[in-house]
Amino acid sequence: MKQFSKIFKFELKNYLTNKIFVGVTLVLVVLIAGVMFFPRVREALRSTEPSASDSPSSADAATETDEASTMLLVCGEEEKALLKDPFAAAFPDYNIVFSDDGIEEIKRRITAQEADCAFVFDGLTSYTYYVDNLSLYDNNIGIADSVLQNVYQVRAMLNGGMTAQQVQDALSVVIEHEAHSLGKDQAKNFFYTYIMIFALYTVIILYGQMIATNVATEKSSRAMELLITSANPVSMMFGKVLASCCAGLIQLIAVFGSSLIFFHMNQSYWFDNEMVSSLFGIPVNLFVYMLIFFTLGFFIYAFLFGAIGSTASKLEDINTSLMPITLLFVFAFMVVMFSMSSGNVDTLLMKVCSFIPFTSSMAMFTRLAMSTVPMYEVLISIAILMVSVVGIGVVSAKIYRVGVLLYGTPPKLGAILKAIRKS
Amino acid sequence: MKLEVRNIRKSFGGNQVLKGITLTAESGKACGLLGRNGAGKTTSIRILMNVFPCDSGEVLLDGKPIDYNTIRFGYLPEERGLYPKKKIAEQLVYFAELKGMTHRAASASVDFWLDRLGMTEHKNKRLDTLSKGNQQKIQLITALAHDPQIVILDEPFSGLDPVNAMLLKDIVKEQIKKGKIVLLSSHQMNYIEEFCDNIAILNQGSIALSGDLNTIRRNYPRNRLVVRSEQKDSIRQFFGAACTEQENNTLLITLHSPEEKQDVMQCLTEKFDIDEIKVFEPSLNDIFVEYAGDQDKEENA
Repeated sequence: MKQFSKIFKFELKNYLTNKIFVGVTLVLVVLIAGVMFFPRVREALRSTEPSASDSPSSADAATETDEASTMLLVCGEEEKALLKDPFAAAFPDYNIVFSDDGIEEIKRRITAQEADCAFVFDGLTSYTYYVDNLSLYDNNIGIADSVLQNVYQVRAMLNGGMTAQQVQDALSVVIEHEAHSLGKDQAKNFFYTYIMIFALYTVIILYGQMIATNVATEKSSRAMELLITSANPVSMMFGKVLASCCAGLIQLIAVFGSSLIFFHMNQSYWFDNEMVSSLFGIPVNLFVYMLIFFTLGFFIYAFLFGAIGSTASKLEDINTSLMPITLLFVFAFMVVMFSMSSGNVDTLLMKVCSFIPFTSSMAMFTRLAMSTVPMYEVLISIAILMVSVVGIGVVSAKIYRVGVLLYGTPPKLGAILKAIRKS
Repeated sequence: MKLEVRNIRKSFGGNQVLKGITLTAESGKACGLLGRNGAGKTTSIRILMNVFPCDSGEVLLDGKPIDYNTIRFGYLPEERGLYPKKKIAEQLVYFAELKGMTHRAASASVDFWLDRLGMTEHKNKRLDTLSKGNQQKIQLITALAHDPQIVILDEPFSGLDPVNAMLLKDIVKEQIKKGKIVLLSSHQMNYIEEFCDNIAILNQGSIALSGDLNTIRRNYPRNRLVVRSEQKDSIRQFFGAACTEQENNTLLITLHSPEEKQDVMQCLTEKFDIDEIKVFEPSLNDIFVEYAGDQDKEENA
């Protein structure tokens, strides 16, 4: 126990004094601060802008109009009257100009960047849309369609004998609705579940690699010869893994803690951003579950990474040796991600995965966050994870004990198992 | 204290590495563990230190199974290595703490040893900034800082310059004088001869020879004479095949029996101009080659 605490302290200090570790954490905190303070800064800048130019001159206004995108409409006189106001209302960002130019001239003006886009109408129910590059986010067609539909409907109703008021009432009827989710609101929980799973994935992969590299470095620098004769391998394994888990948690707390603080400092500026607000509105019980699954899942993989690191004699061998375990982990991640985006997190695969210790940390947490899981299932999953952590920890320490003294080509799995049984 | 290793056997994957090793080491004396590369020295040491268990056999201290929780081992492995990127004092204290010392005691001891080895100025440097010999001195501290009862030094002199070798010799002698059990493994026979009262020669996982070095020497048949003379050719003619010339310009005359030696010596001094004449006693090197050297022959056979 004494040895364990010495090893734990030494390893944790290694992380906390590591320049890269400290640097990355600080950069992350600064980045988050940048994002969180952005709306406040933007607002502050905006409020100072008008005071800088109190009386915008007419020249300024002219430039501004010039800068706004120009939309050309080509249509007959009758349509012009009908379309002018609805289009101006539907496309407030555009400077709408009616044109009598021919198609070729319209095309030329768009290619020459004189105008951004053009609607060439063939009656009220048919048009051709011209634009230079059709952007991924260009929804002008959709807007125009609904404007035209609306115009058409109004005209039809008026022609059918309804009064303008009746038409107005019919088209602007407001439907009241309310949604009561008896379980979880997936849309609301999606974002923070996504962030948590992603954090879990990143931290486990990063720290797992660090542990494996750490062990392999000790082995290749032959410090292991001395370590293995000075300390019990179980203490060494648990000391290393717990220290890295602590370092990981410290990093996460620094990142999430600072973002929480920054969020509260700028809460009023994020009020209308549901995605961000939902992230910080994570329920406490879910947060506790996250910590439990995070820690247990971390341990399982950290032990395995440590054990595998001990079988590699050179740093170059590590990546090849880690491949199977990394693939297993990526598989777990993919399963969870796919079911999250499909919207159904209670598939048979997910249910099975939430009891297998290698996948349950992510799968069960996702189900907890996005669906309703019976308590006994959660407890069983946690119990399996806990037993597995101890089991995998002890087996890993044994692999470690055997592995650290084997030099040369990485041993085959069978050879390791045989050696463990003997020791 | 008396450390006994009894009939230890160990196999790795069907390959029997140790085939019944037995050796004894006493406090206040050094025991030399000799053997060619791959003879099983490191494996024996690891079993002795409980890094892995043996298949059969036992390690006893004063007749009782050794208690690894109370007995402190100091080990200088042949494969040297510490944390290259860490500060020297920091890792030395860490290793001493792992062996059960408190932080304060470990720091004091590390300071003492750094001073003793003339390394205090490097205390806060990174290990990889030191030369190989100096790194070795640092590594030696990990074997001694926690005041172990049993000190195992594997090739302690390799890579040291004569001045440092002298310093290390003094330290080893000091440890022996303090009543510690010292196990020394080296291929530099002169050092073993200097320190060790007992030796054990390992050959292919078995003890080929063990015991008190002086007794071993005395037990060699005293039927050979070493002769130094200017009249080598005449002497060789006189003795024929019984006389061979050695590398150091002396002649080695093998007699039929040790009893003849007095007569032959007399005869030699009367007949020839002799500078020096003595009974041949094998050096440790000769003994080693004789007992450990047939490995290849056996392998080829």
